[in-house]
Amino acid sequence: MKFISSEKIPGFLEALSARSTVWAPRELTGSGGTVMFERWRPGDPIDLEHYSSLSAKDVVLPRTEKLFGYTYAFGGSPFSGGLGASGTAVAASDSDQAPATSGEQIVIKPAEPAPSTVLFGVRACDAKSIQVLDALFNNPGGEGYNDPQYSARREGLTVITLACTTCDDACFCSSFENGASEKAGSDLILYPVDGGFLAEGVTGKGGELLSEPFFEESELAPPPLAETAVIEGLERLQEILPGLFDDLDFWERVSERCVSCGFCTYGCPTCHCFNIHDEMQGDREGERLRSWDACMFALYTQETSGHNPRPTLAHRYRNRINHKFSYYPENQGEILCTGCGRCIRGCPAALDIRDVLRDALKAARKE
Amino acid sequence: MSELVSTIQKVLAETGLVLGWSATGAGGVAAPERFHTAEEAEVAIFDSTCVHNLSVHLPRLKGRAVGIVAKACDARSIVELIAEREVDGDQVRVIEVSCTDTLDVKAIWRRYGYGALIEDDGSELRVNGEPVEREAFVQAKCLDCEDRQPATPAGKPVPSGSKPANARQQLREDFQAMSVGERRAFWREQYARCIRCHACREACPMCYCRDVCIMQTTDPHWTGGGINTAEAEMMQLIRVNHLAGRCTACGECERACPVGIPLMLLMEEQNRAIEEMFDYRAGVDPEAKPPLLTFDIKGDSWDGE
Ligand code: SF4
Ligand code: SF4
Ligand code: SF4
Ligand code: SF4
Ligand code: SF4
Repeated sequence: MKFISSEKIPGFLEALSARSTVWAPRELTGSGGTVMFERWRPGDPIDLEHYSSLSAKDVVLPRTEKLFGYTYAFGGSPFSGGLGASGTAVAASDSDQAPATSGEQIVIKPAEPAPSTVLFGVRACDAKSIQVLDALFNNPGGEGYNDPQYSARREGLTVITLACTTCDDACFCSSFENGASEKAGSDLILYPVDGGFLAEGVTGKGGELLSEPFFEESELAPPPLAETAVIEGLERLQEILPGLFDDLDFWERVSERCVSCGFCTYGCPTCHCFNIHDEMQGDREGERLRSWDACMFALYTQETSGHNPRPTLAHRYRNRINHKFSYYPENQGEILCTGCGRCIRGCPAALDIRDVLRDALKAARKE
Repeated sequence: MSELVSTIQKVLAETGLVLGWSATGAGGVAAPERFHTAEEAEVAIFDSTCVHNLSVHLPRLKGRAVGIVAKACDARSIVELIAEREVDGDQVRVIEVSCTDTLDVKAIWRRYGYGALIEDDGSELRVNGEPVEREAFVQAKCLDCEDRQPATPAGKPVPSGSKPANARQQLREDFQAMSVGERRAFWREQYARCIRCHACREACPMCYCRDVCIMQTTDPHWTGGGINTAEAEMMQLIRVNHLAGRCTACGECERACPVGIPLMLLMEEQNRAIEEMFDYRAGVDPEAKPPLLTFDIKGDSWDGE
């Protein structure tokens, strides 16, 4: 394997940042120890020791992203001429879809193109999460849905993973097939050794980076990786959960601590729900945005009539577990959880998803 | 059997439900529980890791009899909920526990790893078997709590005028020294990392509008749906103002914030102003009329026409 010394990491990132946007984990000042993935610029500190409080999913699914901008323009007004060059008129006054006002045009301004990005210092569970999201969003030319903005960001993304040699009490990635040695989603993996890191290229994109002058040949052997807590039989939940669906007592019991703060979904690397909304500046111009949303919120399923098919917290918690361990595996072939433990570390009510999963497995055995 | 357990069991006979704690959280710390039977209640504990303000669950349990184990600060939230008629005082049995201080468990875990073993006998605090400096890991609200009952010399409140032992206290002092412009810049930097999860609202016992909160309604569209600094600032302006004269300083908003925004600086500042202006402290008297909930339609400014 190749080797890069710890001292050379900033130089390596600096070289990468000359051609890409680099994201790396950092402890934010005055944040009581919050570690987040942020845009990295030469000189910025990096925290590779702690687990990040939030996942790095912003890189493929920004918390808020512009889908497009729009301007209402009226026939002969300076708007249409000025914006026509960069935008596309989608509704001219003589077309069938024309708005009621005669002479009105809507000029669409497309979103900025996706940048080329390097995500540095994620763990195996987070890299794997990106692959889990790909199953839903990124199917260019193939079967299934392809989200053009996600897909463009994914195309330009290089993931450099830091292999875990230790873990904490919240980690449970070893419950999944490959545990901490998972390679899916990573382009390059760094294994911590004395004085630096062994580097293994996983994809062509990652392998190419090894020819950079920061890397040298090494005879060192990679270190043993972390073994986390294990929950046996997670894949059986796909069959088990539909049988528990109507047992609302069960869902009330397992979610009774929850205060519905939503962190477990916003912090999760695999949760990907969003809302699409228009925000206007004045009455002529606006943006269509896509922002994070989550099934733990009441408004998530509130219908226009006022009816809410998931009226209580227990209904909403049931959806969270079912989507992760039953619906998503059924529809996309992947469990929507990689055992990163963030929802456990961050829950203000000490609710541990592993207890719920064990209870569900136990309830099934009793039947 | 501990006195706490037998008290809970007595209350259970009346109410059929008691909110309390067991030691089933990671590393043996407290986790919120609902006890329905005397047998379930046998695991009830109270110690310095019982940080949660359980009264946040009361509005959702409106209409049924319930017992609740409460620290003095939690009890203030219950009193305020009763004063606001959000909780029926006759339906609630409060089991008050005496408390010396509670720990900032998150800060301990951030330093020593999630699930690190926390042992606390009330004076000496040990993490993974090693003694650590207690004041550094006590919730800041506890250090100047008036209801605190120091059991040992080590649990004594920090004398005023001394150097803050606690990072949070230091921040409070730094904040006090800032000019208005510096404060604005400080908050904008803080809000930049807000993910708009609304945990600060959901964890607050007084934010019982929750599911119909104006921060998320689309009609009328009071706030934008974007997740950015400007919206976060707007959101906190709304949240803080809606808690004027109602906040009991329990600290749950800040504890729940996943990105460590020091929201208590805002709440403390406003609470101080309310006390000065109206001579009112929220959560002290269940019969009190909270000043900003007093809308007198027969008053001077409006004759009710
Ligand atoms: S983080 Fe905990 S309290 Fe918050 S919504 Fe998730 S389970 Fe509920
Ligand atoms: S559900 Fe929890 S453990 Fe699983 S991926 Fe999401 S945050 Fe991580
Ligand atoms: S439905 Fe819930 S659990 Fe599933 S991705 Fe959305 S927020 Fe996450
Ligand atoms: S605003 Fe914060 S400190 Fe005040 S009552 Fe609500 S949660 Fe407690
Ligand atoms: S809890 Fe923190 S991150 Fe979440 S909305 Fe409130 S201030 Fe923002």
